[in-house]
Amino acid sequence: MQKKKSPMLMIMRYAGHHKSEYIGSVILAVISVVSGMVPYFAAGQMVAAMLEGADKDLIFYLIWCAVVAAGYICKGIFAGISTSVSHKATYLTMREIRKKLVSKLARMPMGTILESPSGYYKDVIVDRVEGIEVPLAHLLPEMTANVLAPVIMLVYLFVLDWRLALISLVTIPIGMAAMRSTMKSYGENYGKSVEIGGRMTNAIVEYMGGIEVIKAFSQSESSYKKYTDAVNDNAAFFYGWMKSAQWAMSAYNAITPSVLLTVLPAGFIFFALGSLPAAAFVTIIILSLGIIEPIIAATNYTDNIARVSTVMGQIDEIMNSPELERPESGEDAADGDIEFRNVTFGYESGKDALKNVSLTIPKGKVTALVGPSGSGKSTIAKLTAGFWDTDSGEIMIDGRNVREIPLEAHADKIAYVEQNNYLFDDTVMENIRTGRADASDEEVINAAKAAGCDAFIRALDNGYETKVGSAGGHLSGGERQRVAIARAMLKDAPIVILDEATAYIDPENEAVIQKAIAGLVKNKTVLVIAHRLSTITDADKIIVMDGGEVSAQGTHAELLEKSELYRSMWIAHNGTKEGAENDRSV
Amino acid sequence: MIGAFKKIWDFAGKEQKNIKISIVLALLHSIFYALQFAAVFVILQALTAGNSDISTAFIALGIMAASITGRIILNTFSQLKRVHAGYFMVANKRISIGDKLRVVPMGYFNKNNLGQMTAITTTTLTDVENTAPVVLVTVLGGFINSVVFAISVFIFDWRIGLVVLAGMAAFLWTTSLQEKRSRKGAPERQRSQEKLVEKVLETIQGISVIKSFHLGEKADKRVSEAINESCEKNLSIEKQMTPYQMFQQIILNLFAVAIMAVTAALYLNGAMELTNAIMMFVAAFMVFEQMKSAGISIATLRIAEASIDKANETDSVPVMDEGGRAVDPENHDVVFENVDFAYGERKILDNVSFTAKERTATAIVGPSGSGKTTMCSLIARFWDVNGGRITVGGEDVRSYTLDSLMKNISMVFQNVYLFSDTVENNIKFGRPDASHDEVVEAAKKACCHDFIMQLPDGYDTVLEEGGASLSGGERQRISIARAILKNAPIIILDEATANVDPENEDRLQSAIEALMKDKTIIMIAHRLKTVRKADQILVLDGGHIVQRGTHDELSVQEGIYRRFVTEREQAESWHIAGAAV
Repeated sequence: MQKKKSPMLMIMRYAGHHKSEYIGSVILAVISVVSGMVPYFAAGQMVAAMLEGADKDLIFYLIWCAVVAAGYICKGIFAGISTSVSHKATYLTMREIRKKLVSKLARMPMGTILESPSGYYKDVIVDRVEGIEVPLAHLLPEMTANVLAPVIMLVYLFVLDWRLALISLVTIPIGMAAMRSTMKSYGENYGKSVEIGGRMTNAIVEYMGGIEVIKAFSQSESSYKKYTDAVNDNAAFFYGWMKSAQWAMSAYNAITPSVLLTVLPAGFIFFALGSLPAAAFVTIIILSLGIIEPIIAATNYTDNIARVSTVMGQIDEIMNSPELERPESGEDAADGDIEFRNVTFGYESGKDALKNVSLTIPKGKVTALVGPSGSGKSTIAKLTAGFWDTDSGEIMIDGRNVREIPLEAHADKIAYVEQNNYLFDDTVMENIRTGRADASDEEVINAAKAAGCDAFIRALDNGYETKVGSAGGHLSGGERQRVAIARAMLKDAPIVILDEATAYIDPENEAVIQKAIAGLVKNKTVLVIAHRLSTITDADKIIVMDGGEVSAQGTHAELLEKSELYRSMWIAHNGTKEGAENDRSV
Repeated sequence: MIGAFKKIWDFAGKEQKNIKISIVLALLHSIFYALQFAAVFVILQALTAGNSDISTAFIALGIMAASITGRIILNTFSQLKRVHAGYFMVANKRISIGDKLRVVPMGYFNKNNLGQMTAITTTTLTDVENTAPVVLVTVLGGFINSVVFAISVFIFDWRIGLVVLAGMAAFLWTTSLQEKRSRKGAPERQRSQEKLVEKVLETIQGISVIKSFHLGEKADKRVSEAINESCEKNLSIEKQMTPYQMFQQIILNLFAVAIMAVTAALYLNGAMELTNAIMMFVAAFMVFEQMKSAGISIATLRIAEASIDKANETDSVPVMDEGGRAVDPENHDVVFENVDFAYGERKILDNVSFTAKERTATAIVGPSGSGKTTMCSLIARFWDVNGGRITVGGEDVRSYTLDSLMKNISMVFQNVYLFSDTVENNIKFGRPDASHDEVVEAAKKACCHDFIMQLPDGYDTVLEEGGASLSGGERQRISIARAILKNAPIIILDEATANVDPENEDRLQSAIEALMKDKTIIMIAHRLKTVRKADQILVLDGGHIVQRGTHDELSVQEGIYRRFVTEREQAESWHIAGAAV
């Protein structure tokens, strides 16, 4: 009972205000089950009349047939209404769960969402929630019906003849005993099947993901063999498992519902001994035909209960995950200096990406972050933009803690441009207008011109009205980047964060992108994580990060003097750039 | 319904034999199931005759025991055949997809269609595995059972047999009505479901844009609409289908009532014996049971059908003619002779000819979309040319087997893919028989030895799938180590993708230099340094080679190359702060 209760409680937390519908559907299911008993009773009357040789006319039989028909019709109609009611409640519950999950997403730290594979949340919101439809809509009414029907039948059987009623139950333990042997090894085999299935999935993912490499290195023979082996192993394992369990399962399926095995001979003996009238015996035969199937159906629902509890667990995990601590409303953020005060932050507990970092990003100046990969540069940019909350320490904008600034006001001040910029599956025009919802077409086009994308947009099939495809898929990486810059330009936020935005995404158009960025950062507070050191040598301030800490800060010239790390990075950078320098002298 | 069965049947391929056997066994199984009638009949006969000989009880017990034993045996074998068919027909499809991938032109692959192919091979085919064999048995088995029952009833009394047949016909009729209805509703629901996925993904992936541009409300509205629509579609399907299901069950039950009524009438007219009449009353409760459960499983049949349709989409993937032989070329000159190439209607290369001599470096320069990448990928037969030919060592690339062609070529421009295996085995992928020392040597040349030694288990560290545990630059260098170990005489390289990791640019650069030593090199070049060093520069524009020569020759000509040089110089000396002021 305990096992059944907890997932039901979980469901009721979400389906609670549809409780009356579910109760209604159970009541309807019960009416349906009771109506379903009527035909057995009525048929019993007719058979009794025949056996007793009573002198009844056709009208008598037709009336009882009408009763049977009425029973069946009520059974069908009430069952239908019952599932309709429970389905309606279920679909509405699913809708509410989905909406709750989506609105939860909006309150979670952006970072949490961006760090998880995007498939995860989609999987829960769409597929997992869809998966509770069957258990939720069918479980309550049908399980009730399937448990109740045999109970009522048994009661009737007991009324007719308690000995036969008991005897009719004998096949259940025999069937169970047959099943026991396989149930013992079920856990072990199930574990193995998960492992082998997982191995096959990995082999498939690797073979397909790596197919280009496989071909490029002429390894298709050996890789193909690995793939086919994994696929065949999987099929062979399941077949082998079934083979070992099939006898027991067949025995269970054949024996358990075969109530006649015991009822026919025992009933006949009682009849022969004169302790059971023929009519009652025939009624019992008819009743016993319908008694076990529903019990088997009811046991099948236990699987469903387990499934619901897994899904509910996943939903709860999302619903209970931490949220960004920001006020709903409050003062607007000012756009002064940005300051980190003793900020510590880790993506996972125990692993700090930033350790006690204090630094200032002065208003209206260009501040550059440099350092080896994993040094915490990107984390600083993301915290500044409000993707996460700090674990300890404060981030201040113009002397105010960002935690006191409403998320929207904070977002207003910042234009964040990264390497991979998300575009919506909408027109180019609307994607740029995202930057400022009330911008006119002309303003959008001006921004596009300033970002150097007007020319390529006009060359698209429908110009500004061209749909960019899912996640901007119809555009090249460099084109997406420029549209994103245009969007940021339209927003005209006082703080611009460039997270590796100048990377080598589109070498042919690098000059255009550089020009676009130049337009974007004019007169702004700029925080830049630079792709090439040479691009930031004349930044007002360069902060050198190393291992989550500020290793040094200053101007290019100062750092060359005092920071060994910076000096070595500069030398390494120049090594690769030397060619370009020479070229100019040609 | 027949169509769906046909689909499963065609899909089964080699496993058809097992399905056939399974069906025959299921038929025999039904006969043993129907033996229950005989047991009931024996008892009823004794009851009506007032015969109280105890041996009747044992006869009934014996018949029931025989029925159960026969069912256990036949069900076991029938199920095993069916399970074999289910798992192995799917395994065969998986293998045939894998097989096909070997002859699909490499150019066909991209993240999108590979992801789709993977999803089909794993998830969709698992759905087939789970549904197709089950429906075959419950639906087909249910019908077989019903037919056997109907025949048994016929044997007792042909008139009641007719009523049973009429019931079955009515059932099939309501099923086909339901089918027609769901055929209309199902695609609509599918579409609303796809829209939901799309909108939810958009919200998740675009969350940073949504938040930074205050799109909360707008995005919420879009997701909400999709959620509402999905809910409405589900409800409307439920609303459409429930009456049919109700109707279906009620109709079958009413035919059971008809059996009782006809039996009573025949009995009263003296046209049916008492035993048979009672027998028919019992049969009325049994005869349609299997049919009802078959009716319920028809919904699963639809899922199986849809999954098979999806799996069969892989049949339309293009394949490349692979009739070549293993060629071991004498030299490694790469020659384009009047090569034409088009993606569908769009012409990419038009009459391109050039020769890249063995151990020389050819740099390809040109605006984006000029055909540079296509030109390089044609050498490795990502696609086949539409006109002219490409030769390696004097042999047409199409006369090589793909394996023997690729032995001569290393490419550093596709996505770097690392297997979830040890670092060592990942590098060894370049030459499986290489020794550990050779692996280390290649790693040193590719400047990855140092970071590999810092990994928890050094060369034995197991990488995550896709190599996600390493930085972009580290992955890039491992892939270069792989190529160094392979030591192919021809190197094809795109400099842009070799620049993903800005901090380690110098190390990446020396890794590439180690790779290119003494090789025939064809590269898409972006750096002035590499271009200047090239033995031959090809300037591509709109699918034509518009300029060719050395840096010294081309830089004194008016044209694309001169502009390219100027732009590169500007880009490479750009400063952000200068722009911000």
